Amino acid sequence: MSNAYITDVQPQRAADSAARLNEDWLAVILGLAIFILALAALVNVDLIGWVVSTSVWNNFDHALGPASKGYASLGGIGALIATYAALTIVLSAGAAALKANVTRFALAFTAVFWIAYASWIIGNYANFAAVTPAEEQKFGISWSLKLTNEGAYIFALLAGLIIANFLPRFAAAIKEAVRPELYIKIAIVILGGFFAVTAAGKLGFASSILLRGVAAIVEAYLIYWAVVYYIARKWFGFSREWSAPLAAGISICGVSAAIAVGGAVRARPVVPVLVSSLVVVFAVVEVLILPFLAQTFLAHEPLVAGAWIGLAVKTDGAAVAAGGITESLILAKNAAEGIHYQPGWILGTAATIKVFIDIFIGIWAFVLGYIWTNHINVTRDADKTKAREIWERFPKFIIGFVITFIAGLYLALGTPADIAKNVPAAIGEANTFRVIFFILTFFSIGVLSNFRTLWQEGFGKLAAVYVVSLFGFVVWVGLLISWIFFNGVTPPLAS
Amino acid sequence: MSDFTHQSDLREELRNAPVEPLLPIEKKLIAWSLGIGLTLLVVLAVINHVFPIGS
Repeated sequence: MSNAYITDVQPQRAADSAARLNEDWLAVILGLAIFILALAALVNVDLIGWVVSTSVWNNFDHALGPASKGYASLGGIGALIATYAALTIVLSAGAAALKANVTRFALAFTAVFWIAYASWIIGNYANFAAVTPAEEQKFGISWSLKLTNEGAYIFALLAGLIIANFLPRFAAAIKEAVRPELYIKIAIVILGGFFAVTAAGKLGFASSILLRGVAAIVEAYLIYWAVVYYIARKWFGFSREWSAPLAAGISICGVSAAIAVGGAVRARPVVPVLVSSLVVVFAVVEVLILPFLAQTFLAHEPLVAGAWIGLAVKTDGAAVAAGGITESLILAKNAAEGIHYQPGWILGTAATIKVFIDIFIGIWAFVLGYIWTNHINVTRDADKTKAREIWERFPKFIIGFVITFIAGLYLALGTPADIAKNVPAAIGEANTFRVIFFILTFFSIGVLSNFRTLWQEGFGKLAAVYVVSLFGFVVWVGLLISWIFFNGVTPPLAS
Repeated sequence: MSDFTHQSDLREELRNAPVEPLLPIEKKLIAWSLGIGLTLLVVLAVINHVFPIGS
């Protein structure tokens, strides 16, 4: 990340922390609001069916449409404008609650939304996204990159990367609305309901997957962190102040872990910020490579692929979104071979692994903080780590994920049949918003990834630790452990 | 923080950082962390084998 990003973002984040609401709680509120509005469809009141949905296309007239047939009169462009207007109003209100500059946010969000969504539409062009021979025949095309429609996230990411690396002034101008953490957290809250509907039909199977999330916690905190910390300290000679957040960023959950551990070991604020910038850049590299490797080598082990992505890709945004791409690629490859898996399980596994890891960030930060303030940099009592920091560092958006998951499960399994049958369609509308927040996340991650300035600032040594740890250890151990716990387990077949 | 980024280059900061040898408490943290982690993984792998994921 460039100096511009670091120096400009800090006042913004400072303002955020001064606000009554933080991004985590805002994500919970907005995610739950979308979920609740979607549930009105259970009593045949369609409140959000106007949200725009994109299909694979070779005639632009057929690219866009509202999610619900009840709003067909809006047309595709009408639905797109309605979605833009609604998101701008709601997110601007959220920006106001975060004490951000609302006018600047609304203008920046306008650019973010239209560029990101335009990239998504381009990525859904038939020659990029069509997968099966039947689809190629349907669209009258002789070739396709077979990236699937969710592969279009890559187009949003590339658009962001182009802006970050070739139009830095524009990137700086729209930074107020470049908030990948906010967008992915809203998406994860909505995802809880979607995953519940997927899991409802196979509850035993889903609970088995949830229980295996424990292995991910053990791996990320106790094995990855210790090894990466040792590598940073012993092989690369980094100080403790740098090594602890660096190990957290590489091994646990990217940005939030680096910041939490940086605070716990009382590192200067710049340390986790610089580590976070590195995490984002490498997450981009992982998103561009790992889903395609998973499709090539793990297509017949779909849940190994999902767990691996959840363990290997750092930052919530990149990991969960990469889980979406991986699912799409693997389902497409299997579909071409005549195997039709139920969608939702690969993405659900990746997201579950990530959520389980996130839950313990506060506890790990507390453990390290206790050791640092009592044994390494012994501080006076008032400055020692307090147990309440566990709650302060707890990622609150997970509460939203759990609420929508439990509510979705109850609605699918505990309500009369005439209500339960409408649940998938209702959650499906909320899920359309989830896709839009994924698109915004991908674009935002791209905009924050200025590769050129990273090298100018002398990031080489930090990056070397990252490369050695990530590609020499984290990726492979993650694959091994995913294999141990998920090999031979396949998602249910689509009915 | 902006003082850091504007006045002293990161490269200089890293080059001039004093050498900090691993303290016994750090070695203990790494060893315990790995020990508990590997033990738990073996236990979980056994549980996974005994109670495989249902279909």
